Amino acid sequence: MFRDFLKHLFPRVVLEQNLKLSYSFCLGGLAFTALLLLSLSGILLLLHYQPAATEAYNSIIFIEEMVYGGKYLRSVHRMASHFFLVFIFLHVLRVVFTGAFAPPRQGNWLIGCCLLGLGVFEAYTGYLLPMDQLALWATQTGMTLLEAFPFGKFVTALLVPDEVGGSLSLLRFYVLHVVLLPLVTLCLCMVHFYLVRRQKGLLPYL
Amino acid sequence: MEKIKQTRRNFIATLIALPIAMLGLWRYLNPKRPDNPALLRLPAADLPAGGMLVFRNERIAVMQENNKIIAMKLVCTHLGCTVTVTPQGMICPCHGSRFDRMGNVQNGPAERPLERLAVKQDGDMLVISG
Repeated sequence: MFRDFLKHLFPRVVLEQNLKLSYSFCLGGLAFTALLLLSLSGILLLLHYQPAATEAYNSIIFIEEMVYGGKYLRSVHRMASHFFLVFIFLHVLRVVFTGAFAPPRQGNWLIGCCLLGLGVFEAYTGYLLPMDQLALWATQTGMTLLEAFPFGKFVTALLVPDEVGGSLSLLRFYVLHVVLLPLVTLCLCMVHFYLVRRQKGLLPYL
Repeated sequence: MEKIKQTRRNFIATLIALPIAMLGLWRYLNPKRPDNPALLRLPAADLPAGGMLVFRNERIAVMQENNKIIAMKLVCTHLGCTVTVTPQGMICPCHGSRFDRMGNVQNGPAERPLERLAVKQDGDMLVISG
């Protein structure tokens, strides 16, 4: 039954020109691979990280020093997030230079823009979680910048209800990073891939 | 010849790789918890009466109050900066929290007193751990 489901994911038709590597360089696929790596390493890191303002940094040190493979896993998570951002940026460049945002692909282009914003926001919320000086001040600068926008004060009050580094704010960033943003990203990814398929394009792994 | 779902080679490879992966996962999920190590050892005679010994690198202050030896961490309970020790008390340079000589909060964003550490006498040495 699984096999039949998998077979239905393959398209009836794929245009031959789309099969060339030089068309897309598989950048979207590489970005999705990075996302999968992030999810897997993230779930494993979840088992040791503590999202409390006083315990967060200590739990990171614990992961690095006392947990078998902890240093490596945290490194994988960090590197994969760097690669993820680089790959989606290059993917956007490729889409723009090949004109793949033109009709009939304008809907998919909009979804891609949303995915870009979600990816960057996901990386930003993850940045606060280690609760070291770099994290705190990056969040502080980001939130102050956000306040300058219209409705900025309202949005920052939602994201940072107490101060930057307070327990409520850390928890909010944690829930955004671990549950809400990945869920929305995953759903949009599925729609994105479906539309690519429907336009007789190519997908990685399949 | 029928189409086989899994070759003998794949089966043996899985048989070897899966236990190794499971062992790695098991070790990841069960880290060895460190028991409280001794943070500081000092001769009991070094402790001045009515004064305070400040160890900057270990961030520990040791003093004697009413014949009881107290050791406390010089870590601000707000966001973890090292507090500055003055004759009147402790001041945190980061956000201005103030503590009295016993570590209780007098002012500032900190809410909890400075953390105390366990002091044990080992002959003529004091062992501070926690």
